[in-house]
Amino acid sequence: MCDRILVMVKGKIVKALDRADFSQEALLYWATSTEVPLKTIKAESSEKQVSRSRTKGFSFSKFLKRWGTIAGMVLLFIACGIAAPHFLAPSNLFNVLKQGSVLALIALGLTIALISGGFDMSVGALSQLTSNLSAGLVAGGLATSLTLLTGGLVGLGVGALNAFFVVLLRMPPFVATLGTMFALMGATLAYNKGQSFTLADKPEFFTMGQGYIGPIPIILVIVVALVMVLLLFLKRTRPGLHMYAVGGNPQAAVVRGLNKSASIVLSFMLGGLIVGLSGVILTSYSYGASAVPASLDFLISALAAAFLGTTFNRAGQLDVLGTVVAAIFIAAINNRLILNGVSNLVLPGIQGLILVLSIIPGVIRKKGIGQVTIF
Amino acid sequence: MSKQSIPAESQDANRVLNQDPALSSPGRKSGGIGTLLREHLPLIGMVLVLIGGGTLEPNFFLLANLSSVAQQSSMLIIIAIGLSIPMLMRGVDLSIAQVTDATALMAAALVAHNQPVILAFVLPILLGLFIGVVNGWLMGYVGVPAIIGTLGMMFIVRSGELIYSKGSQPQILFALPRSMTAPFLFIAQGTLGPIPMILIVWIVIAIGMYFLTKTTVFGRQMDAVGGNVTAAFLSAVNVKKVFAGGFVLSSLMASLAGITLASWTGIAVPRGAESYLMEAFVAVYLGTVTTKNGQISVLGTVIGALFVGALNNQLTLLGLGAAERNILNGAFVLLAMAIGALRKKRR
Repeated sequence: MCDRILVMVKGKIVKALDRADFSQEALLYWATSTEVPLKTIKAESSEKQVSRSRTKGFSFSKFLKRWGTIAGMVLLFIACGIAAPHFLAPSNLFNVLKQGSVLALIALGLTIALISGGFDMSVGALSQLTSNLSAGLVAGGLATSLTLLTGGLVGLGVGALNAFFVVLLRMPPFVATLGTMFALMGATLAYNKGQSFTLADKPEFFTMGQGYIGPIPIILVIVVALVMVLLLFLKRTRPGLHMYAVGGNPQAAVVRGLNKSASIVLSFMLGGLIVGLSGVILTSYSYGASAVPASLDFLISALAAAFLGTTFNRAGQLDVLGTVVAAIFIAAINNRLILNGVSNLVLPGIQGLILVLSIIPGVIRKKGIGQVTIF
Repeated sequence: MSKQSIPAESQDANRVLNQDPALSSPGRKSGGIGTLLREHLPLIGMVLVLIGGGTLEPNFFLLANLSSVAQQSSMLIIIAIGLSIPMLMRGVDLSIAQVTDATALMAAALVAHNQPVILAFVLPILLGLFIGVVNGWLMGYVGVPAIIGTLGMMFIVRSGELIYSKGSQPQILFALPRSMTAPFLFIAQGTLGPIPMILIVWIVIAIGMYFLTKTTVFGRQMDAVGGNVTAAFLSAVNVKKVFAGGFVLSSLMASLAGITLASWTGIAVPRGAESYLMEAFVAVYLGTVTTKNGQISVLGTVIGALFVGALNNQLTLLGLGAAERNILNGAFVLLAMAIGALRKKRR
């Protein structure tokens, strides 16, 4: 009936059989072979490899690639200090660290979701929802611990919902989290009715975001502790390493017998938990919750931090430590610009630039086009 | 993140195969009323939702109201068509509503400063094309994942807008003398005989884009890139150029929508058009359930956009606000994708 048969193994076309070549044996040979497809694919992509090997050599460009971002950041930092001496004053430095910490928390949640190959559009919306929710709860007289618990549970629930759509319904993470993002934005609006919450006179609750231990902001302590726990979890425990494996190469991970679904569920829920808590801390930090819909603003800051963080290590890997450093760097830039009298109208554009520039080194070697799984 | 899972790729192969009429299953030919119903179930569902909403608020069915829905939805339809073009190729353009916003502001500012009306049409389109070319270069040639690149572009454009308007001061046209603004406002507020111009605008654009995607070489190449980029590359499609072209087209659509928006409302408020992004996504994803294979198509997108527009109209008539609209929109995206997932499983 047909003039050719394409044999596919694990979603890859391994062989096109012409009508003349076709026999049941040949079909089965190609369909069951596991070694051959790799060779075929390699042959096809040998052209790519040639071009890749050509980029090697010339150590200065290599050096620039490896250390360029960090050097650039340090230079920028020093330039900032020279231009505005107040910038490097200890009080301002701790201010920067404090400002960066809120962003770092959201970015950490996003990084966890990204590590296992997911994508989470809903982080900003979730953070804003729990921020508004906790403001309302605290205003209603709920204890700080219970407010944190509520924020964490809401985050866990949203993470579980995202995981449900992605794992059970097999939606691409982008679409699933886009849907939950819209729904969460609506829920926030329904809860606060477009009104901001301003909290006053809740010293116990404000300690979390605004308190100090000696000269060190408590919020920074929270972030550092969280990073240490996450580093331990991601680099030293089995589930954490599995998350990296699934994100790096899902097919290989499945072949090696890892439970891909479990890793994805875990990463969405863990990410959701952190982002949910970040909303509560944000409220404590800013003495209330804003009604300005800032979901996408939070998202782009967090994405910029996560991808800027990948430029620090050689493999271009997502890394919680890198994320936090990058988040604080972004906060420092914002702080610096405001100190210099640049209006905050420029800030979104700068974050957009940082985001695009920081992802370019990672993708430019791949020589692909920017397709994403949206469908 | 372009991590491709195994099932996603095999589905793509199915999609490509199904496009060839000779290869699609012959069993479907017997078009009984049952199969007809089953194939158009989502469409029927949409109509039922609207009828259900209409019974709560009968004013919805007034001819004047329905016609106003078709006119109000124009901008959404044009933006959604624009968004559907990169999405056809598994890209996405998050900057699209922001470009609409910026071009609307530019057009309104040009008219308000008494520039020749032709400039108010040409310059915003050039701005849209420029942003589209930068987007296309980033996504097509550099290889930045489309979510990241266009999100970055969205915020860069937003910054530019805010700086220009000194923190979102609107450009108001309707308060200006009519003699100054009339030629510009005609494009959306005028009528050609009995037909409102704005209807003509979106219908012409929709028909143009329909034929571009269905009958031209570029349209077929876009299908190929969306179906299987390696196969497209091996069949001598200039993958990078086609992918980049999608972003130029989407930004062009965005600028057309921006001009229409400024002309229709007679005012351009910076960041006023941003909510179109969300609605355009809903329109595109809802549009996929109206087609048999769950593909993105111009026609489906137009249907989806009209549905979103009609639903917004009903919610407004019922006195419900942005909160309910957001929640419903989110639910519709998830529902549309869930239906798509279930159908794929059955096949």
